Amino acid sequence: MKETLENLFLQVQKPARYTGGELHSVTKDLRDVDVRFAFCFPDLYEVGMSHLGMKILYAQFNNEPDIWCERVFAPAEDMEALMREHGVPLFGLESRDPIKDFDFIGFTLQYEMSYTAVLHMLDLARVPLRSDQRDEQHPLVVAGGPCACNPEPLADFVDLFFLGEGEEVDLEVIRLYQEHKRRGYSKQAFLRACAAIEGVYVPSLYDVSYNPDGTVAAVTPKDGAPETVRKRIIKDLDACYYPDYFVVPYTDIVHDRAMSEIFRGCIRGCRFCQAGFIYRPVREKSVDTIDRQSHALCQSTGYEEFSLSSLSTSDYTQLEPLLNRLLAWAEPEHTNISLPSLRVDGFSDELVNKLNVLRRAGLTFAPEAGTQRLRDAINKNLTEEEILDTAAKAFRGGWTAVKLYFMMGLPTETMEDIEGIAQLGQKVVNAFYNNPDKPKGKGVTVSVSASCFVPKPFTPFQWEPQDTKAQLQEKQQHLVESVHTKKISLSWHDSATSFLEAVLARGDRRLCAVLEEAHRRGFHLDSWSEHFDFDGWMDVFASCGLDPAFYANRRRSYDEVLPWDHLDYGVSKAFLIEENKKAHAAVTTPNCRQACAGCGAACWKEGVCVAKR
Amino acid sequence: MQNVRVIFSKTGRAKYISHLDLARTMTRVMRRAAIPLWYTEGFNRHPYLTFAAPLSLGYEGLQETMDLRLQEEMSGEELVQRLNEAMPEGLSALSAGPAVAKAGELALADYRLTIHCPAQTVQALLAQTEIPVEKRTKKKTTKTIDIKPAFANAGVKEQEGKTVLSVTLPCGSNETINPSLFVSALRTATGEAYGYSVLRLALRKADGSLFR
Repeated sequence: MKETLENLFLQVQKPARYTGGELHSVTKDLRDVDVRFAFCFPDLYEVGMSHLGMKILYAQFNNEPDIWCERVFAPAEDMEALMREHGVPLFGLESRDPIKDFDFIGFTLQYEMSYTAVLHMLDLARVPLRSDQRDEQHPLVVAGGPCACNPEPLADFVDLFFLGEGEEVDLEVIRLYQEHKRRGYSKQAFLRACAAIEGVYVPSLYDVSYNPDGTVAAVTPKDGAPETVRKRIIKDLDACYYPDYFVVPYTDIVHDRAMSEIFRGCIRGCRFCQAGFIYRPVREKSVDTIDRQSHALCQSTGYEEFSLSSLSTSDYTQLEPLLNRLLAWAEPEHTNISLPSLRVDGFSDELVNKLNVLRRAGLTFAPEAGTQRLRDAINKNLTEEEILDTAAKAFRGGWTAVKLYFMMGLPTETMEDIEGIAQLGQKVVNAFYNNPDKPKGKGVTVSVSASCFVPKPFTPFQWEPQDTKAQLQEKQQHLVESVHTKKISLSWHDSATSFLEAVLARGDRRLCAVLEEAHRRGFHLDSWSEHFDFDGWMDVFASCGLDPAFYANRRRSYDEVLPWDHLDYGVSKAFLIEENKKAHAAVTTPNCRQACAGCGAACWKEGVCVAKR
Repeated sequence: MQNVRVIFSKTGRAKYISHLDLARTMTRVMRRAAIPLWYTEGFNRHPYLTFAAPLSLGYEGLQETMDLRLQEEMSGEELVQRLNEAMPEGLSALSAGPAVAKAGELALADYRLTIHCPAQTVQALLAQTEIPVEKRTKKKTTKTIDIKPAFANAGVKEQEGKTVLSVTLPCGSNETINPSLFVSALRTATGEAYGYSVLRLALRKADGSLFR
């Protein structure tokens, strides 16, 4: 098979996606290895290789002498066709061995639109799709990542889900597996034992019953599985494993740079943002740790750029001291620092100056909504004045392009809020022309990008209906008509993919049949719009007797049993209900550093929950 | 400031590194090796790095060249040693020193072309008076050229059921002939898409002496 592969590589676009052998990729002698783990990212190489979580777990697993973790990505169409033609099953990049012979096949679930790719990759690996079709002869199929907070649409395919942060729980499961292997392994017994580990959800140990109207009646555990499964968190990020190397790809990937995580969680509580709730509580890494880890990574990879990663960089309490420490070595070594997720209101003059030292890529703000009323409703605690002040500051600093991100279809939104998007864009344009020192002969470009709001589990909007396709199209049209200047360039997200995303995000187990049928019809890599077939999907729902609007466009009542209610992310349902009510009253909630809102994440007694305010 | 020419090989898995990606890969190698690179001035500072002859994706090369500029002086031996400590699988520095030939003096390259077909198939094509093939030009159009003169002196050997062609082809700024053109001609002549691999053994000046 390995010679066949070499021949295939020469026939495809970007063979470096499949060849492996990159710097720092890990190979091991099979005689030393007890457990083989295929870490699968259900998307193309250039997307998956940009993902920090995979880099952390890859290095951490391989740090254990008896575990060999390999990387696996979804092949592009040309490679897939050749693999099928030549009978090559999906293989690990490091060994080029078929992953069907591994102990674990693990998927990271970063976005709902990758679910079909999960099934597709299992199929390419020649592993039966459904858990109940796999026995002791097959690998265990496991999954984690943010979408595991409502894993029900994949419940029939995945043997166990990791909830929350993986660094500890993943290894605990692998160690338990080895123990069971030594004692005579039975898959059922192993899964039952796993269910006792905090952060492990075994879907086959729960029966779901439905009401006549299609809503969930009850989720009932069996065989001693717990009533609710709580996610795992890492208590001390400074003590937690972090790699001192990344695999350095040859071919261009989306984020080709070193990355340092500076904290987990977010203090903000924007009501639309799932990450802002499921990663609570906020826990920071110290300046010393970040400095040491960043420098080690840059030295081992040779990367000319590294970024500070978090949900909201400017909320790091020691940002300026950190930047000073990093710049001390980054500047002489010609290494650039990039700072994504900078919030407008944390953006000081000094920081603007520091960024000027570095390369300027452009400036991005996310007001999310066009009017103050709606920003209050979504708890985006940001005023128009702050946005315009910061834009003016940025223009004085020499920027001539600004990107503004908005969402359409937010709960309580009216046409007035849509007009507000255009008006805010116009005010940013005006802020540029009001700058007396604006660069001569240069115009401004304000890019306004409007995506479609998708209600997500574990947010205060988990009960909200998504706008219908027709409503969203009407709003998009209204936005186009509200823009009166060529200085604003408008773009928006396709409402059809957002609709499917909304269905899958809050779906239940009955969607497993839909995913299986979609897979059977060859739908995969749906996150790439060229591959997306909306009418085909609607036909699949019809053939399964399910109405997608039931999942996307229906308002739930507070007392409905939600498909993910048996999973516990620390944030209580009572708190989310309270937040939902405040949204409808356009009342804001202070951030975690201003005051504790009592969300429930304090149960871990860590980070911001126990810090002095 | 010091200009250096590094002779390196690119084999095994490294043959899948495209020319565009090779510059980035080498920059990172030198950063890992803490080589005192000279950076361009200005807004977008980057190291100075050039390759005399791009090697097609999937080809292996034994004597490739890379020119770079150092901020501080460094001996060729030390440079080679430090590069090799930081090189990924398949890339290997062989020697380093001042450039002897100017980039424009590169004219020829020695290739070993291995085609997965019997020798007589290759010999039949070589026996033709003309071997016309379509070649893409820089303007994205195609033209038909005759590669018979370029392949007239090719050595042919059969090895384990495959045919090994040894040939020296034009490889410079005026004229370049990619050995894959021969495989294209073979496909046109026989209707078969034979597998093949290419190894570039050496780069030469017009007088046949090594380009270094």
